[in-house]
Amino acid sequence: MLLRQAEIEVQRQIRSKAIISQANTLSKLFYDAGVAMGGYSITKSPLFSDRYDKIVRQIPQDLNELKSLVGDNPRQQKILENLADITVTGLKILGEAKAAIDDNRVDVAQFRARHMYKEIRSLADRLQDELRGLTEDERKIESESPEVQNRNRATVKLFLVVGVVFNILLAVALALFFSRGIGRRLNVLTDNSIRLARGEPLNPPLTGGDEIAHLDGVFHSMADALTEASRKERAVIENSADVICSIDIDGKFVAVSPASLSMFGFSPDELMGKRFIDLIIPEDVQETIKAVRAIRAEQATMNFENRIKKKDQTTVTVLWSAYWSESERSMFCVAHDITERKLAEEATKASEKRIRTIIENMLVGLIIISPEGIIESVNPRTEQIFGFTSSQMVGRHLMTLFTEARLYSMNSREDLQQFMDNLFHKALNRVGEFDALKQAGDDFPIELSLSEFNMADGRFYLANILDVSERREVERLKKEFVSTVSHELRTPLTSIRGSLTLLNVGALGALPDQAMKVVNIAERNTIRLIGLINDILDIEKLESGKMDMVFQNVDLTSVMERSYESVKTFADNNGVLLEMVPSHINVNADGDRLVQVIVNLMSNACKFSPKGATVTVRVDEIPNWIEVKVIDRGRGIPAKFKNLLFQRFQQVEASDAKRKGGTGLGLAICKGIIEAHGGTIGVDSEEGKGSVFWFRIPAAQAGAQEKKVS
Amino acid sequence: MKVLIIDDEEDTRSIAAMSLNIIGGLDVVEAENGKIGVEKAAAEKPDCILLDCMMPIMDGESTLAELLTNEQTKGIPVIFLTAKAMTSEIERLKRLGAVGVLTKPFDPTMLAGQVKALLGR
Repeated sequence: MLLRQAEIEVQRQIRSKAIISQANTLSKLFYDAGVAMGGYSITKSPLFSDRYDKIVRQIPQDLNELKSLVGDNPRQQKILENLADITVTGLKILGEAKAAIDDNRVDVAQFRARHMYKEIRSLADRLQDELRGLTEDERKIESESPEVQNRNRATVKLFLVVGVVFNILLAVALALFFSRGIGRRLNVLTDNSIRLARGEPLNPPLTGGDEIAHLDGVFHSMADALTEASRKERAVIENSADVICSIDIDGKFVAVSPASLSMFGFSPDELMGKRFIDLIIPEDVQETIKAVRAIRAEQATMNFENRIKKKDQTTVTVLWSAYWSESERSMFCVAHDITERKLAEEATKASEKRIRTIIENMLVGLIIISPEGIIESVNPRTEQIFGFTSSQMVGRHLMTLFTEARLYSMNSREDLQQFMDNLFHKALNRVGEFDALKQAGDDFPIELSLSEFNMADGRFYLANILDVSERREVERLKKEFVSTVSHELRTPLTSIRGSLTLLNVGALGALPDQAMKVVNIAERNTIRLIGLINDILDIEKLESGKMDMVFQNVDLTSVMERSYESVKTFADNNGVLLEMVPSHINVNADGDRLVQVIVNLMSNACKFSPKGATVTVRVDEIPNWIEVKVIDRGRGIPAKFKNLLFQRFQQVEASDAKRKGGTGLGLAICKGIIEAHGGTIGVDSEEGKGSVFWFRIPAAQAGAQEKKVS
Repeated sequence: MKVLIIDDEEDTRSIAAMSLNIIGGLDVVEAENGKIGVEKAAAEKPDCILLDCMMPIMDGESTLAELLTNEQTKGIPVIFLTAKAMTSEIERLKRLGAVGVLTKPFDPTMLAGQVKALLGR
């Protein structure tokens, strides 16, 4: 009996374990079904739907197994029946929800989920009542046999399991409901992102304080920022002076900014659909095609230029900056009008060419040197002057071209510096004379002038070089000629004048009156001829700047005395009285030349003074100047002649030269001599009342050194 | 007082000689070039020499140098009588050792006086 009881107990315990295990399996299945459904509702992946289908098929089998285990306890069977009902209803609701998800009827699925939640909620309430009944059963069982107690405990376990199953079902329903809710919000988010990408207005902002609402808020700020950026971009495109456009793979305009109207004469609407190539002038088509091909091949932003025929048939030169977008299958371009720039460039090129032509054909050698004296460039004339080629000169020191190269060392920094110092001293902004060296080794004279100029890469000097060999030779010949003429004329004149004077003074015996008269005429004219030769030589020397002057400290009293001695006889012959008002003033001057000037002025005064009149010579000191006046009481000089008088061969009356003698060169020579002293000469005169010829020379500086000027 | 005139131009020599002799009352010796001039100076021992500048064979400057170095002639004062008119030339000639420079064409009536003035007589 006990053994049998024990066996029954063992079997019951085994069954009890099986029920619990089965119930666990069932609850796990429901849990899995819920998870699979949740996953499916969000992803719609077949992985989830397959799993779900498998579980749904499994649940009824497991339920039947549980039935067989429960046995014949009517109360337990009733509960199991209810459980089976709820399971069927749950599976049905899940099935409908899945169908709604499959049909994309999200709202239906949500509705089903809500419905299922209510239904399960009421089933759960009913189950609570059943469980309450079970608790009462348990109390009764406590008083029964341990076997019955144990059996009843197993039953309670079963129903506890069933409770868990319901809770799981409930959880599944809730998960489904909320996942559908989150899914909807996520859908709004996804839709917003698509709208954002397309530039469409976003859905109204999601409410709530969760991450999704926060994320949606970020989306809206992003959309606002993008809208603002896009607005600005549009403003830039629409207001840009450059044409911004895109050209599709067929070479047609698909977007054009408004600047096309002013740049090409075509409005954006006129250009849309038009072929790019049709705008280009025929000469530039090939190059443009080549450029566009390169842009497509390189997939990079590249520039090219071409000329566009505007609507009004004029041409505009355009710089295109373009890149090819493979994804858009279009070329994006920015067109910049460079017509003005091109014209300016062409003008600059033409001007450069002109200047280059001038420089290359100049008769002056041009050398550009660095401040250190290194030759940077030379013009062709420089090559001719020195006999070196350009490449032989560029990069070398300028001293190579000078005779200093023989004395100084090219390797001595001091020597080079000394050469450059001398060069700057003698030739910067003025003309200096130098001895240059030809490639063949010959010396020759040059004139060189340096001027400074600045370029982007530093300071340079331009040397203008003139080969003055020929000029020097001409000067030498001229000097020689003047000297020869002077000598050759003076030698015979010495004899003629000497002979006539000797005759005239009776040194060779008395002559008949007629002969005396003729000899006198001959002597007078010979003296005049000698004067003319002297004057011509003086004028020539003054004009060529070769007048020899010997400046020294001169006492004006001696100058006045010498002048008086020279003119005295002439004045006596003209019946004119001389009045000298000297002054013991020293001047820095060429005394002989001052005597020449005063004698000239006094002789003129005597010539034009009436007999018995007085010619006064006086010296006055005025601030910084010494003034010498020669005052006559002659006929005076008309105002219009005052300036002409000091020009060559000018006399107040044409007949004066014959009547009064003189060459017409005297005053011009006086002017030249006084100017060489740094002074001025002039005349104050009133017609009929005589004239005052005056000159002023600078007063000698205290302690002034004697100086020689030639 | 005896003056030696050294000049290659015979006409000039004659006029100068007449001027000095007839108007100035001086004795005159003539030489037609520098070489003969130096010889005559040594032989005649004149009181003064009037020396032309531009001459063949031996020009005035060389002749002066010779006269100044020759033991027999170095004490004789020399005056250049030249057709060179440039001031700088005249200054240069003065510095060579001549006592004075007179220029051609000269005034025959004044020549003897000018010579005497330069000699301080």
